[in-house]
Amino acid sequence: MNKKIKASAAIVAAFALSLGAFAATSASAATKTYTLAYQGPLSGGEASTGIDEQNGVKYAIKVFEAANPGYKINLVSVDDEGDPAVASKVAPGVGTNRKIIGLVGPAYSGATIASLPYYKAGNLTVISPSATRVSLTDPKSATVKSDYGRPIFHRVVATDDKQGPALAKFAIKGLTAPKVFVFDDQSSYAVPLRGYVEAALKKIVGASIVGSGDSVPNTTTDFSPTIAKIKTAGATVVIYTGYYSQAAVFIKQLRDSGSTAVFAGGDGVFNQEFAKLAGKSGENARLTGVAGLSDVDPKLEADFKAKMGVSSGVYAVESIDAANIFLSGILNGKTTRAAINKWVKSYSGKGLGGTSLKFNQHGDISEGGFAGFLVTGGKLVNQGAVV
Amino acid sequence: MFTVFIDQFWQLTISGIALGFIYVLIALGYTMVYGVLRMINFANSEIFMWGTFGAIVASRDLFRYNQTTEPATGGKLALVLFIQLFAAMAFAAVVSVIVELAAYRRLRARGTNRLATLISAIGMSMVLSETMRLMTDSRPVGSPRILEKVILTEVWGAQIRLDTLITIVAAGAIFIILERFVKLSRMGKAIRAVSMNEDAAKLMGINLNRVITVTFLVGGLATGAAGFFYVTVYEYTKFNIGFTMGLAAFTAAVVGGIGNIRGAFFGGVFLGLAEVYASAILGTQWKAVTIFIVLVLVLLFKPNGLFGEAVQQTRA
Amino acid sequence: MKNFNLRDFGADIWERSNRPVRVAIVIVVIGLVAMMPYAGAGFLATPIAAYDAVIVYPVAIFVLMSLGLNIVVGKSGMLDLGYVAFFAIGAYTMGFLGIHTSLNTWEIMPIGIGLAMLAGVMLGLPTLRLRGDYLAIVTLGFGEIIRIVALNVSWTNGPNGISGIPMPPDIGPLKFRLDDQKVFFWVVLAMILMTIWMIRRLSVRRPGRAWEAIRQDEDAAELMGVPTLKYKIWSFTLGAAVGGAAGVLYGSKNLFVAPEMFTLNVSILILACVVFGGIGNIWGVIVGGVILGYLPDRIRFISDARLLVFGLVLVVVMNFRPDGLLPRKKREKALVKKGANS
Repeated sequence: MNKKIKASAAIVAAFALSLGAFAATSASAATKTYTLAYQGPLSGGEASTGIDEQNGVKYAIKVFEAANPGYKINLVSVDDEGDPAVASKVAPGVGTNRKIIGLVGPAYSGATIASLPYYKAGNLTVISPSATRVSLTDPKSATVKSDYGRPIFHRVVATDDKQGPALAKFAIKGLTAPKVFVFDDQSSYAVPLRGYVEAALKKIVGASIVGSGDSVPNTTTDFSPTIAKIKTAGATVVIYTGYYSQAAVFIKQLRDSGSTAVFAGGDGVFNQEFAKLAGKSGENARLTGVAGLSDVDPKLEADFKAKMGVSSGVYAVESIDAANIFLSGILNGKTTRAAINKWVKSYSGKGLGGTSLKFNQHGDISEGGFAGFLVTGGKLVNQGAVV
Repeated sequence: MFTVFIDQFWQLTISGIALGFIYVLIALGYTMVYGVLRMINFANSEIFMWGTFGAIVASRDLFRYNQTTEPATGGKLALVLFIQLFAAMAFAAVVSVIVELAAYRRLRARGTNRLATLISAIGMSMVLSETMRLMTDSRPVGSPRILEKVILTEVWGAQIRLDTLITIVAAGAIFIILERFVKLSRMGKAIRAVSMNEDAAKLMGINLNRVITVTFLVGGLATGAAGFFYVTVYEYTKFNIGFTMGLAAFTAAVVGGIGNIRGAFFGGVFLGLAEVYASAILGTQWKAVTIFIVLVLVLLFKPNGLFGEAVQQTRA
Repeated sequence: MKNFNLRDFGADIWERSNRPVRVAIVIVVIGLVAMMPYAGAGFLATPIAAYDAVIVYPVAIFVLMSLGLNIVVGKSGMLDLGYVAFFAIGAYTMGFLGIHTSLNTWEIMPIGIGLAMLAGVMLGLPTLRLRGDYLAIVTLGFGEIIRIVALNVSWTNGPNGISGIPMPPDIGPLKFRLDDQKVFFWVVLAMILMTIWMIRRLSVRRPGRAWEAIRQDEDAAELMGVPTLKYKIWSFTLGAAVGGAAGVLYGSKNLFVAPEMFTLNVSILILACVVFGGIGNIWGVIVGGVILGYLPDRIRFISDARLLVFGLVLVVVMNFRPDGLLPRKKREKALVKKGANS
């Protein structure tokens, strides 16, 4: 059932896109029609992330339209497959399509970097719910200036350099003299995050990094060499930066090998699917992530499910927040790219999760951090913000 | 650099052999088709992927196991595993035959160039993996735990786990059965006849189409069995797992000497070990690079693989 | 209709024309193709992806790479599944030199081509003795090795890739712009024309005859005194050069290179372009590159299922036109059939 809905949603979205241009011109004076876009992986191997985020945006639009009759918001689905090569193919079209006044996304940092030049050229404001690479908002760490997204790039998610220390602290919480083994999945998300985790660990007195770590391509399912390394190093804590599906395969193999080392992972692992896939082996895994919709308010989650037909996914809160910033701008009559950009820059409000949404000069929100979650009884249980 | 390798040598060896046996069965799929058609069956990796789903469908939908149910024991365990194996092999064999009919038969009948067939097979593998992607919503699919992975014993510090043991014994048995089939049965002899000389085989009254379909069927059975072991050991599958496993298995087949059934066996085990050792010594990120360098070295000194006959000879 | 062969039909017109007519045909065709960036308003428009970007990458760059791969696969009959390696080498040369030195795209171009050719020779020397499928797997491995090295060494910036690559400097009045990629299209078009010219020159001379001989029967060629290894390496290296050139331009156009752009899929797609259009025939290869580069973006409206449809198209077309949409000359074809099946 879900699948059918999604498939038809995708088709509808595609049609909305092709019809968007006509709809905008033929709209009667009574309804004000504006166009936003969502960019992320909507097909290919990473599609589930993008579909979840886009559902968040669609939900926000539905709520907005219901609350403000007379407004119609078209959503253009920009599918970049999470791949920078595809992103640089679709971004020019989005950048020059003046109907689009704001874009939620891109979901991934690599695709963001590939798209930025086109959006800068078109002065299109973007708010990403999930691109966490530090260089996007930090002129100092950007290897080259073009990574730096000012003035158009914003994000409502905390960065790797905030998550790294949070993950390190949460992983070794309550342990004496932890010996930590860190490994990544070779993706552009995981490798930088691992760097921040290791840097943070080095600063923590008593903790030590053992072994030389590992870098396991994300298509690997046999983790026996990594487990051999963990055993040789005598690690008591294992931190994995990567995604949930691989993490679930790994944790099962680690537990089956008899190891009881603490397992910790970042927001890539933070996914209800992890607990589901890992089963019993996943118990007591320590994950850092941002609170999901059901964590924020179960009633909201019920409403989401009623309106969208599916449960909300990871980054649903961020996607809704990002969309809401644009929507409130539209409600206040900011309907050109320039006006929206000004609006977003000076925006100040509260997100669904209670974080204050106010962008600093680089496009980051000042607040917002990561919470620790413990897998208990197959559920991700919030342990509060990591400090 | 070598501390892990020395410290965990026997553990690594056992893991490598278990992984190698899965490769052996997939490599068998490649090598059998190559034997009769002189074609890389590009879609074999996706046939494997469909096999893994066959095993999961059996345990999840037929026996109603889910992520929270207890693993099976005793007679039930044997029954469920057997049905899973059967389902995986059946799924894969059916897909394999469909691949032959849809992507190969027409082109073969017209005797056209090999590249057209290759592209047709590539198209077919896209169709297979994309169909599965749409059906599973691009998400990974976990397999319920059927087999409790008890550590049976430790030898020289290496754990012998139940699933490892079952994989090695059962995959070995399946390999021997298929090898005997090709060696001794009437159909097997026909397959070998076709792979030696297609025209002569035809003249001897061998029904070429039937032989080729059976070859795909047997290749599919072997590949599907690999899918079952994969699911039992890793309890996970996804629409895109075929590529990596297929590439490794194909490399194994080439190292062993493609077209040669015993070559597939040694190539598979060799590759499983090489992967695990390389990962332990150099880091998992260099695994693929090491394998390919080994492959090039093998081919430089034994241009037809470790067990292959000279290509020219078989093709003449 | 059954025996209608568009390639022969075209060749007939060409052969019946005299020199001025031929020149006129060439100029008109080039002129029409050069107008393509202006044709994006109607039926050809691509949903989501920008039309002017799509006709540069993938379409024009796919055509260029297909022509390069065709030298290896189509002309001399070697199956190369790692062509993306040369593309990646070109793109990374552009990326690395572009941000660390003050060289511009045109100055980096020969360096990128040179490095790709060097890689071609280094790979070719030990491996070109191998035949058929063995060569395929070794080249495939080489493609993966380049990607994995780019992923794991520090000067390529690992999985983060190299960003901020400079655009090419303007050529007189032609300005390279991000939001309008016409000039990129014209540059790739010029590169395609140069490649076609090179292939046509070589085909009728000694190397072309040697490749043809190697493709049809390598042993016979060797016995007849053709230094097969030398010509195979030549063909491999020329293919690499074209791939490297495409890579340099792609890096400069994309402004960003990352390892995930250079997967095996690209190699397979380019090979599919060559075979789909008509292996060995320049015009067929061009048609293949255009269709397979353009189609996935044109059919984006079927969104999720577009790769499925793409796969089906490959199967169906190969089954009904196994020699591609525009097959090579019949005379050559008959010989291939025999050679390939033996």
